[in-house]
Amino acid sequence: MNEFLLTVFSAAFLATVIRTSTPLLLATLGGLISDLSGALNVALDGIMLIGCLTAVIVSHYAPWYVGVLAGIGAGAAVGLVMAFFHLRMKADIIIVGFAIGALATGGTVFALSLATGGDKGTSINLPSGAVPAVDLSFLGAIPGIGPALVAIFSGHSLLSWVAAFLVFAIWYFLYRTPWGLWLRAVGEYPAAPEAAGIPVNAVRFWSLIVSGALAGLGGAQLAMFNFIGFTANMTAGRGFIALGAVLLGARHPVGVMFAALLFGAFDGLTNVLPGHYPWIPPELIRMIPFAVTILALLLFSYRAQRALALRGVKA
Amino acid sequence: MTTDATPTAPAALPAATAAGNMKPPTRLSIAGRELGRAAIAVIIAMIATLLIVFFVSKSPVDALMTLLTAPFSRVRTFGLWVDDVAKLTMTGLAFSLVFQARQFALGVQGQLYVGALAATYVALSPIGQTWAGLPLGVLAAMIAGGIYGFLPGIAKARLGANEIVSTLMLNYIAIELCNFLVRVSLVPPGSGLLTTDKFPKTSLYPVLVANTRIDLGLIFAILCVLGTWFALYRTSWGLKLRLVGHNARFAEYAGIKANAIMVSAMTVAGALGGLLGSMFVQGQAFGQLTVLFEGGFAFEGILIAIVARNRPLAVPVVAMFYAYLRQGAQLMNIRTDVPAEVISVVAALIILLVASQFGLPAWLKRNVLGTRRGATR
Repeated sequence: MNEFLLTVFSAAFLATVIRTSTPLLLATLGGLISDLSGALNVALDGIMLIGCLTAVIVSHYAPWYVGVLAGIGAGAAVGLVMAFFHLRMKADIIIVGFAIGALATGGTVFALSLATGGDKGTSINLPSGAVPAVDLSFLGAIPGIGPALVAIFSGHSLLSWVAAFLVFAIWYFLYRTPWGLWLRAVGEYPAAPEAAGIPVNAVRFWSLIVSGALAGLGGAQLAMFNFIGFTANMTAGRGFIALGAVLLGARHPVGVMFAALLFGAFDGLTNVLPGHYPWIPPELIRMIPFAVTILALLLFSYRAQRALALRGVKA
Repeated sequence: MTTDATPTAPAALPAATAAGNMKPPTRLSIAGRELGRAAIAVIIAMIATLLIVFFVSKSPVDALMTLLTAPFSRVRTFGLWVDDVAKLTMTGLAFSLVFQARQFALGVQGQLYVGALAATYVALSPIGQTWAGLPLGVLAAMIAGGIYGFLPGIAKARLGANEIVSTLMLNYIAIELCNFLVRVSLVPPGSGLLTTDKFPKTSLYPVLVANTRIDLGLIFAILCVLGTWFALYRTSWGLKLRLVGHNARFAEYAGIKANAIMVSAMTVAGALGGLLGSMFVQGQAFGQLTVLFEGGFAFEGILIAIVARNRPLAVPVVAMFYAYLRQGAQLMNIRTDVPAEVISVVAALIILLVASQFGLPAWLKRNVLGTRRGATR
C-alpha cells in the first residue's frame, strides 16, 4: 500500500497525469467553448477521432507541425459542418452531434482502410510523425527542488504547454474581452445580446468552429504523442469524459482544467495499478475513468441543484 | 387526436406558417411531407454513396450492384436481412421511446450487454436445461436492462444529472463488466476463451424459417412495435409521456409528474434494450455470449429513431430500408474493394438531412413543385 501511495504521489506519476490529461484538457476546453455558447457538443469524441486520423495521415507525408495543424483544421471543418447544420439548417445540435459521431467512428475506419490499402485496425503501415517533447532539464540546476521540477515538467509534449497556455488564453478571452462577454451572453440568454445588436448567430458559428478545432488539436496530441499512430476508436470515450469534465469544472476554464487533470489522474492510475496490484482484474481498472465520471457527474449535479435550491429557484 | 400528429414534427410547422394562411395541416399532409423529406434525404445520401464508390472503387458498377441487389439474392442473405430488421427495430424502438420523452439517453448499448449477461446466466444455469430457460432468460434480460435504464433516469430526476453523459459512461462500464464476467465466471477457468459454451437448445429462440437466422426474435420485435405504439398513443401514460416530451414545464402545471414519467420511459426503454440483448445471445445468430458481440450496433437505433421521427409504427419500415443497406454494404465489403464502413458516411448524411429543416431551393419549388403547392391551398 505504502509503495503504491509513494508511486501515486511521485513526480513520475504527476508527469504521467500531465501526459494523459493533455488530450482530455484540449477536448474539454473545446466542450467548454461550445457549452458556454449554448450548444452541447456531443461530437467531441468523434471530432477527436477525426483529428487523430488526419494528423496521422498528414504527418506521414509532411512535418509534424503540419500534421498538428491539419488535425486542428479537420476539427474546425467538422465544427463548421456542425454549425452549418445546426444554425442554417436548424437541426437539433445533439442530433447533429450524433451524426458526426456516427460519421467519425465509421468514416475514420473507412478512410484508414483507403489510406493503408485495406487495414481497418491500425495505421501501423503508415509511419507518422510525433509532437516533439520540450526538454527542460536545465531546471535541474535549481538547488533543492530542481530534480523534482525536471521529473514533473520536462519531456512533455509541446502541446501540453500549449494546452496550459490555452487555459489562460480562454479565461482571458471569456472574462476580459468583449467577445468573451458576447459568447457567454449568447449562451446564457440569447434574446439580450440579440437586442443589443450582437451578431448572435456569428458568435455561435465561431464557437462551434473553435470547439471543433480544440477537439481536433486534442486528437492530434493523442495520436502524435500519447500514442504514435492511429487505432480504430482510439479515443475510447475521451470526448464523452470531456463533456463530464466541462460540467464538473463548473464551466470555468480553470475549473475544467482541474477536472481534466482529475480524470487524467484516474486514467494514469489505470496504467500504474496493474504493476502494484496484479490481482485487480484489468477490466475493473479500465472501468475506473468511466465510474469516476459518473460519480463526479452525480456530485456536481447534486451541488448545482442545491445551489439553485438555496437561491430559491425550482430546478 | 390531432395533437399527436403535429408534435414530433416541429420541423414541419415553420413551413406551414411560412406559406401563409393555410389550413391547419392534417395528419395525412404531415405524413406526406415527412415522407417527402425522408425520401429527399435518402436520395441525396444515395448520390453521395454513388460518388464515394466511384471515387474509391476500381469496379464501381460491380460494387454498387452488390450494394443494391445482394441482400435478396439468396435465402441465407434474406434471412440475415430479416434478422437485422428485427434487431434494428428493437434498438430503434428503445431510442424512440426516450426521444419522445425528450431524453437523450444513449444507454441502449449498456442495456444490451447487461440484458445479454442476465440471459446468459439463466441459460447456462440448470434452469437453462428446462423449458423455463427461454422465458426466464428473456425476463431476466428485460429486468436487467430495465434496471440499467432506470439508474440514469433516477439520477436525472433526483439530481438533474445529464443523461447523455451518464448513459454513455454506463455503456462503457457494461462492456467492461461483460468482458470481466465472461472471463472470470462464464467460461471454464483458465481456458482463456472469450466466448461461452453454446446455450442448451431449450434456452434458444425457436427457428421460424429453417436454415436461416429468422427466429422468435422477429415475433418479439413485432409485438414490441405494436406494444410501444399502443402504450404511446392509446394509454394515458403515453399521452403524459408525449406531453412531458413537448413541454415538461407545461406538463408539470397540468399536474403530471414529469419526472416519474421520464424515469418510467427510460426504464421501459431499458427493458427493450435488455430484450434486444437476449435476442442477440439466445437467438439463432449467436446462441452464446461473446465479448464485444454488439460492436456498436445499438447506436444504429439513433438513426432509425430520428428518421422514423420517433414513431413506433414507422420504426420497422425505416429498419427494413436501413438493414437492406447494411447487409448490402457487408456483402459489398466481402465481394468487392469498397469497405463496409462507407455506410456510416451515408448514415450520418441521412441523419443530418432528416434532422434539418431544409426546404427545397426556392427556384426548384417555383418551377417544379409550384402546382402542387397551389393544390394544397
